[in-house]
Amino acid sequence: MRLKFSPRLISAVIVALIVVFIGHQNWGQASVSGQTIATFLVVGIALGGVYAISAAGLVVTYATTGIFNFAQAAIGCFLAFCYWQLTIKWGVPVLLAIAIVLLLIAPAIGITLDRVIMRRLRDAALVVQLMVTVGLMLTFMGITLTIWTPKSPRSVPHFFEGTKGVQIGDVIATWHRIITVAIALLVAVALRFLLYRTRLGISMRAVVDSRNLAGLTGAKSSVISGASWSLGCMTAGLAGILIAPETGLVVENLALVIVVAAAAAAIAQLKSLPMVFIGGLIIGLTEGFTSVFLNFGTDWNYAPQAIPCVILFIALLFLPQARLETGKVRLTKRTERLTRPWEAALGGAVMIVLVGAWANGWIPWISGTTFGQRSAVWLGRGVGFMIVGLIMLSLVPLIGWAGQVSFANYAIAGVGAVLFSHWGGPSGNPLGIVAVMAVCAPLGLLIALPALRLKGLYLALATLAFAEFTDKVIVRHPKMISPTATGVLFKPMDIFGIHISSDAADRKAFVIFLAITFALLFFMLELMRRSRWARRWIAMSDSPAASATIGINLTTTKMAVFMLSGAMAGFAGCMLGLSQGALRVDSFPMFIGLPLVLLLAVQGVRYPVAAFMGLIGLASFPALSEVLGNPTWLTQVSLIGPGIAAIAMAYRPEGAVFYSGRDLAGLLPWRADAREEKALLDQRTRDQDIGRDEINDLGLTRSFTREKVAQLDRVLSIADAVDEHPMVTGVSR
Amino acid sequence: MTALLSTEEVVVRFGVLQAVSQASIEVHAGRVTGLIGPNGAGKTTCFNVITGLQEPTSGRVRFDGADITGRSPSKRARLGIARTFQKLEVFGSLSARENIMVAAEQRRAWDRSGFDPATVTQEILDKVGLADVSEFMVGTLPTGTARLVELARALATNPRLLLLDEASSGLTEEETEEMAVLLRRLVAEDGLGILLVEHDMSFVMGICEFIYVLDFGRVIASGTPAEVQANPAVQAAYLGTETVEEAS
Ligand SMILES: Nc1ncnc2c1ncn2[C@@H]1O[C@H](COP(=O)(O)OP(=O)(O)OP(=O)(O)O)[C@@H](O)[C@H]1O
Ligand SMILES: [Mg+2]
Repeated sequence: MRLKFSPRLISAVIVALIVVFIGHQNWGQASVSGQTIATFLVVGIALGGVYAISAAGLVVTYATTGIFNFAQAAIGCFLAFCYWQLTIKWGVPVLLAIAIVLLLIAPAIGITLDRVIMRRLRDAALVVQLMVTVGLMLTFMGITLTIWTPKSPRSVPHFFEGTKGVQIGDVIATWHRIITVAIALLVAVALRFLLYRTRLGISMRAVVDSRNLAGLTGAKSSVISGASWSLGCMTAGLAGILIAPETGLVVENLALVIVVAAAAAAIAQLKSLPMVFIGGLIIGLTEGFTSVFLNFGTDWNYAPQAIPCVILFIALLFLPQARLETGKVRLTKRTERLTRPWEAALGGAVMIVLVGAWANGWIPWISGTTFGQRSAVWLGRGVGFMIVGLIMLSLVPLIGWAGQVSFANYAIAGVGAVLFSHWGGPSGNPLGIVAVMAVCAPLGLLIALPALRLKGLYLALATLAFAEFTDKVIVRHPKMISPTATGVLFKPMDIFGIHISSDAADRKAFVIFLAITFALLFFMLELMRRSRWARRWIAMSDSPAASATIGINLTTTKMAVFMLSGAMAGFAGCMLGLSQGALRVDSFPMFIGLPLVLLLAVQGVRYPVAAFMGLIGLASFPALSEVLGNPTWLTQVSLIGPGIAAIAMAYRPEGAVFYSGRDLAGLLPWRADAREEKALLDQRTRDQDIGRDEINDLGLTRSFTREKVAQLDRVLSIADAVDEHPMVTGVSR
Repeated sequence: MTALLSTEEVVVRFGVLQAVSQASIEVHAGRVTGLIGPNGAGKTTCFNVITGLQEPTSGRVRFDGADITGRSPSKRARLGIARTFQKLEVFGSLSARENIMVAAEQRRAWDRSGFDPATVTQEILDKVGLADVSEFMVGTLPTGTARLVELARALATNPRLLLLDEASSGLTEEETEEMAVLLRRLVAEDGLGILLVEHDMSFVMGICEFIYVLDFGRVIASGTPAEVQANPAVQAAYLGTETVEEAS
């Protein structure tokens, strides 16, 4: 038999090995008996029910609006806190509180989101769509943390807490769990009824198929999208309220449900509602199984939390290959010319001078603050910002050019830091950095392997799962970061005559060293943008189908960019370790990787200079805070910062660098071309907006007749069977 | 003379809809073959099958005698099949020159004749008449010009078979004329085989030597332009009588 190179096979083998290894390491002593099996079923089914509710909302919004809502679980978390406030704090009766949360607050959030943001995203690039919802997710987490500061632990009681529940054999199923399962079933039936039997639901399904078709039903597209966002928020809230008693009312835990929901949604291929419930059950049962039969020792303390990630990976392996779709090209009427090499060199030099001048204290600042003056604390922060900038830089070719949205680069940097603490770090050997980069490059690729043949959204999900897996399994293993080890992890290092380490005395040199490295990498990327590699990546991102028909092998082309990006992230990771001097097991949570991508995307993913602007933006919050005397309102503003960024992106999809760059160039007397471009673009945008309004108006006057419903149903039942159709189908292939 | 490309009884089914039924067509080197038919007849789907973007439900595709049915789109490009798209598939954030350059550079993966992609790109820009707009980002160009960019990009892979899906839509009358001249030159000088999908009948009849007519996925007629025009089944298909009951 001829063994063919298959990314799918390789990833399948790797995932299987990891699962078997961890399972074997931790096989518990629980005997397999009727009792243990019943326990695991009761726990598993109840968990599965909650997950399915959340995932069902995710699928409904995705199928009807085309937007995957990363904020789903965070909104659920916010709503669960609202519920807590109403019932526990204000003593509102439970049923009334549930009604207020689910029928009042949730739809209000849904409709607002739809009005203000989501409607603008219909035709936006995938990265913009994703980053906007990621921004919302961080905002909802931030708002919740601000209103309900996590000083005292809160808990939501189970329904009918104190009652005994139902005895099934030797096992007791609590009323809360029984109610959960009942509600899950109810939600399934209700959604099915809504989507297939009501006028609104039929329109919601039609809108996916074609907006003209939706016009036939007489429903305004605004009503439809408002309804689906409300529905998404309601299911999110329901899941939040049901799961909060189990996980505790903790923001991170509740927001993490998004990984689980994403896994269940991936099992359902983001379209089949029945499969969503099966997916939820699979995950719930697996978690129930591990909690009963596996006995995780201290080495794998957090591994159970990574179960949904592993399941997500496995689900990706089973998904059918995405077709190369045609007719989906979005022409973003963007005008720009390539940066010339001398301009890039000048830009790099300016960066070095700026950072160098700041590090030396040459930039005057308001007296009384330590920001402008060199202080060890601020120089240390400066090092941190530069490293974040390096990670953002590593995302430019990957996301900006090749269009591969990845949230894993911070996690890769984390792995890089850990590896460096084993190789080269302790001896201060720069060759260790090379070794780490050589490992991180294929690591970047490994994460992407299962998703290479799928559409872009799945890649984003896979990288999210990997980031979570890294945090919960890899870096927390004592062989990776030992909490008890003594001795030096990172010896000071001399590179090109610059002495860098985490010592306060070396920080200035470190900042300058990083500025030089950053500028060099920036220059390299700008040159690279003019190379055949970047052209090929951009071509692939603009039209995969056309790229394939001119002979581009999409798989190897994607692999190359993942390796480049992984190596750059690995380098940043080494610097991260070196700058901190020590590593903590909780330094690399998944939730840090997200704002990093957002920060870059707001500035403009396509442009290397955006990474620099991003790090300046990041630095500006603490800097401003210090200058203004650390007011608390600023801290709160920084919590909703991601939300502001998200809204900004919905209105300025190309990123700030693009718009301000064009405006600034227009100010230069010799850049008449920039002024013309701006006028042209503004005109086009206006034309487009007018066109959109006209389309929206079309559906208004049509009535909804029986024949039209019949016609729609005919079309829809044909469409149901069609390959890759993002429809909320009753049957899955 | 053996055909450069032939499809043998190709069937494509989307659920209950048969988009292409038993379509067998042949394209010969050195001449322009037409593929016409009403909207939804399955022309674009045929193109997708030939270029590997759509897997046929059954049937075979042969190129230059070899069976290429299971090959990936990029492998087919290496064999010498290139195409343009009905709905634009340009690389919108690259300049016109870069669009062509990508294809020319890619060609080096299989064509070892030691050509310089930059020179080839310039030649093609001149040939197609895009030299004036070569530095503009294609996303900002008018549809007609973007279509020419697609044609130029296809030519940069140095194909033996060129598939053009609605080549003249979006072009002005004058540009259509120029397109016809260019296509004739490609066929005569470079010996390309061209398969053309087109709604502009005078353009088709003027340039094609042989025409297939597709209706509801079936080849209902084939022959020289004159033969096809005289065929009553073709007239019916275009006028939309008779065929209605076949559809249901
Ligand atoms: N991916 C798909 N899924 C489902 N149906 C499809 C798909 N692609 C095409 N069809 C259907 O197959 C039929 C043939 O479509 P095709 O695009 O090949 O026609 P065409 O001859 O190119 O028409 P036109 O002249 O409008 O371009 C149409 O009814 C179309 O709706
Ligand atoms: Mg067509």
